[in-house]
Amino acid sequence: MGKARTKVILYVILILLAFTMLLPFVWMLSASLKLNKDVFTFPIQWIPQNPRWENYQDIWTVIPLGRFVGNTAILTVIVTLLQLLTSSFAAYAFAKLDFKGKNALFLGYISTIAVPWQAYMVPQFIMMRNTFHLNDKLTAIVCLQAFSAFGVFLMRQFYADIPNELCEAARIDGLNEYQIWGKIMLPLSKPALSTLTIFTFVNTWNDFLGPLIYLTTTEKKTLQIGLRMFISQYSTEYGLIMAASVVALIPVLIVFLSLQKYFVQGIATSGLKG
Amino acid sequence: MNKLRKVTSLILAMSLSASVLAGCGNGSTESQASQASQAQASSQAGGQVKLVWALWDKDKTTYYQPLIDAYKEKNPNVTIEMKDLGSTDYQTALGTQLAGGDSGLDIITVKDVPGYAAMTNAGQLEDLTQYIKDNNIDLKKYGGITDQVTVDGKLYELPFRSDFWLLYYNKDLFDKAKVDYPTNDMTFEQYDALARKLVSGSGNDKTYGAHYHTWRSAVQLFGILDGKHTVLDYQDGYTWMKPYYEMVLKQQDDGVVMDYATLKTSSTHYSGVFENSSVAMMNMGSWFISTLMADNKAGKSTAKNFGIVKYPHAEGVEPGSTLATITGLAVASSSKNKEAALDFVKFASGEEGAVVVAKTGTIPAIMSDDVIEFITSMEGFPTDPNSKEALKTSHTYLEMPMNAKSAEVETALNDDHDAIMTKSISIDEGLKKMSEDVKAILG
Amino acid sequence: MSTHVKTVSSKGRKRRNNLIAYSFIAPNFIGFAVFTLVPILMAVGLSFMKWNGSAVQGPQFVGLANYAKLFTDSRFKQAFINTVIYTVATVPLTMITSLLLAVILNQKIFARNFFRTISFFPYVASLVAVAAVWNALFSPEKGPVNQVLRAIGISNPPGWAVDSNWAMATLILFSVWKNMGYYMIMYLAGLQSISPELYEAAGLDGANTVQKFRYVTLPQLGNTSFLVLIMVTIQCFKVYDVVLMITNAGPGTKTLVLVFHIYNVAFKQWDLGYASAISMVLFLMVLIVTIVQFRGEKKISN
Repeated sequence: MGKARTKVILYVILILLAFTMLLPFVWMLSASLKLNKDVFTFPIQWIPQNPRWENYQDIWTVIPLGRFVGNTAILTVIVTLLQLLTSSFAAYAFAKLDFKGKNALFLGYISTIAVPWQAYMVPQFIMMRNTFHLNDKLTAIVCLQAFSAFGVFLMRQFYADIPNELCEAARIDGLNEYQIWGKIMLPLSKPALSTLTIFTFVNTWNDFLGPLIYLTTTEKKTLQIGLRMFISQYSTEYGLIMAASVVALIPVLIVFLSLQKYFVQGIATSGLKG
Repeated sequence: MNKLRKVTSLILAMSLSASVLAGCGNGSTESQASQASQAQASSQAGGQVKLVWALWDKDKTTYYQPLIDAYKEKNPNVTIEMKDLGSTDYQTALGTQLAGGDSGLDIITVKDVPGYAAMTNAGQLEDLTQYIKDNNIDLKKYGGITDQVTVDGKLYELPFRSDFWLLYYNKDLFDKAKVDYPTNDMTFEQYDALARKLVSGSGNDKTYGAHYHTWRSAVQLFGILDGKHTVLDYQDGYTWMKPYYEMVLKQQDDGVVMDYATLKTSSTHYSGVFENSSVAMMNMGSWFISTLMADNKAGKSTAKNFGIVKYPHAEGVEPGSTLATITGLAVASSSKNKEAALDFVKFASGEEGAVVVAKTGTIPAIMSDDVIEFITSMEGFPTDPNSKEALKTSHTYLEMPMNAKSAEVETALNDDHDAIMTKSISIDEGLKKMSEDVKAILG
Repeated sequence: MSTHVKTVSSKGRKRRNNLIAYSFIAPNFIGFAVFTLVPILMAVGLSFMKWNGSAVQGPQFVGLANYAKLFTDSRFKQAFINTVIYTVATVPLTMITSLLLAVILNQKIFARNFFRTISFFPYVASLVAVAAVWNALFSPEKGPVNQVLRAIGISNPPGWAVDSNWAMATLILFSVWKNMGYYMIMYLAGLQSISPELYEAAGLDGANTVQKFRYVTLPQLGNTSFLVLIMVTIQCFKVYDVVLMITNAGPGTKTLVLVFHIYNVAFKQWDLGYASAISMVLFLMVLIVTIVQFRGEKKISN
């Protein structure tokens, strides 16, 4: 009896939550099919009477959306791959190996997360331009984003949860550290890797100020600059803005959905712990 | 302890390399300069010069490309590349590009006075004074506006566009309400009364009498039109802004104009409300003329039948007194092709450039009778004589006067404007706070 | 284990181990050091200098002048207070909501994946887009939220982002809503690593749902919670975009936060030295809070 009641309460909470989460997106979707003048009517017309599918056609022509999406996709994929690889590698050392200067180095890593980018943006830009000649290159954004201390921190916290006995056993079996990382830790850290993937992917995909400063020619611009330029130039055209936003949302959702299963396929289900 | 020493030495080594890198800004310019001069030499081998022009909203702005084309026709060896730095964060992106020297930019579009002040403070713009003298450029044709941006006798930009504020109105809405059109000689009382007569309808079909965009310029700068004050004059507590804040907030309370809070949260653009015919009058800069005409032509606007008149004025002030903003062109002091860049700036800001700009329906900095004639005879420009007359100004005042701390003052004024308009603070307290804030910056 | 390893040439082994560890760290660290650490150190140096980005006149050493300026800058004071208020409210709210969400969505319930995906929506969507939607929904006059409030008899609903009493609350609400999905994912990943046997054992001891949560789930999530705590805290101290999009620091300076102030000082006034000095204050704040949290974590885990 009690179980049934908790279930009901659970679902009520869930549905309420889902409602607040979903409402803005339903609104976004509905607005993306409307003429600007119909966007703010009340009571809200959730299903537009005459959906303007043209909005979805128009956005590809008023700004070079295709190119922007392409650029962003390239950037995001490279950054995410690099980030995953280097962070999980470094995190293994911080979590499972003993070495000189470990604590100092780790604290150094974390504390830099706290410095707002706006504080060192200018020196960084000057360095990138004068020393590495990376002005107006997609590579600049890759260098900026791919080696974040944050990824190391996140992966290290997850690795710390994996029992040391596993590594010890592997060492006794004659595996070297690189093999332990590749054969034991990596497969076990799928939930963590997925978490980091999503974090990096979303951040890179949605980053705005970095690309704005580094990428100054239209051919190199990213989706978020495009979206922002779009809003500043066509700020009256809510329908178009929302259509572009919906398009921008789709790739991230795909990534999320394809990683979704790894959250449930964690350590517990593979039965390795305990 | 040993460990600590190692860490310290590591950090030291790093900061050392950091300072070396920081030195790149000036120290190692030598190598860069040689690189650049090589590049230049190779580019000039064929007599070719490539200039990079920093600007914003490349695709939406109609006159950049025509200016380049017109210049190229006379100087076929010059190519000009546009760098679009976006309008919202233009100064951030531009300032970062210019920081520490070698920016690769040659021509700089100067968006506003605070940005101009920042760049001149940092010595990022080339002093044009001598060039102007050598080339006999007559500054008088800019109607005195260049004096307002001259710093210590030096001028760093030449205006190529100069916009001033006007009152736009929707003739259809006036006809529907059976009210006479506004005139070129209207006091604020008359303007306020007129606005009140034009309110009609409710909900989404409501027509408002007037419209103020969320910028501080749209409201508080009514106060500077008598020429007695600038926004830097905090000494008398900004009491001279009070009547205008009172007028606008009263209009807002009475539903004569749209609510500031709504406009801010919905990021409503002024062009939308005017073009949807939901406001009868709107004070806005002359840059809106070309947008409006283009949107009318493209069928995006229902305000086809519009008119313009001079700004309303206070009792005893000459009509035609209005606010001005200038868009200038400057040469980056780090440019490797200064001569070519200067020549382009001279062209674009001169008479020839003015004609090119005017052809796109945009008001150039040089306002001759020919230019006025040209703009007013464009298709889509209102045909009544008042609209034509409205383009003649008597006194123009910059929205923000030139000062080394313009940017800080601008921030303070915007914040306090926001507080007053959202009624977070009363007008009296808001103005008091404004004068304290500005005093803290300038005093 | 470690006792008998130490016997033969422990020094050589140690060096080898060190080298192996460094080889793991190197790929990330080199990139990080070059592209992030060096600029940060430059920023630290810059906080003792005066510089407006000029190439003609490079940075000039001014000692502690930038730090002294902090004490006379009323906007800094306001921004500091606002940042603390924002953080103190947002951190616990985000943690509680995301944990609850994760616990609920870890149950075997109908349409679980659907609910998980939905709660992730606000996080993945571009801020520009969701902020526009949010602002439209909460617009004081025409916004649907207030329309509904009026319809159910609240005649004077709050003005949300443009109401000086509600702006901060609106900002906090938005941040929690926007980010809880992500931290939910982190908690979900954490929950996956709790062995089901622990729950079975607790069930045999007669523990009810609440007790299981209290005595199994919470302690087992220690590491995750700590990670989330640090992440949310740092994120809150560094908040900028959200403020820009939702309130633009207004009304007046009611929601002016530190990074917003830093942005203005750096990129509007081009006082790069002073901007760095403010950043150092922010950095110190986060560092202190992080160290305290680390200490706390060690106490709990011991």
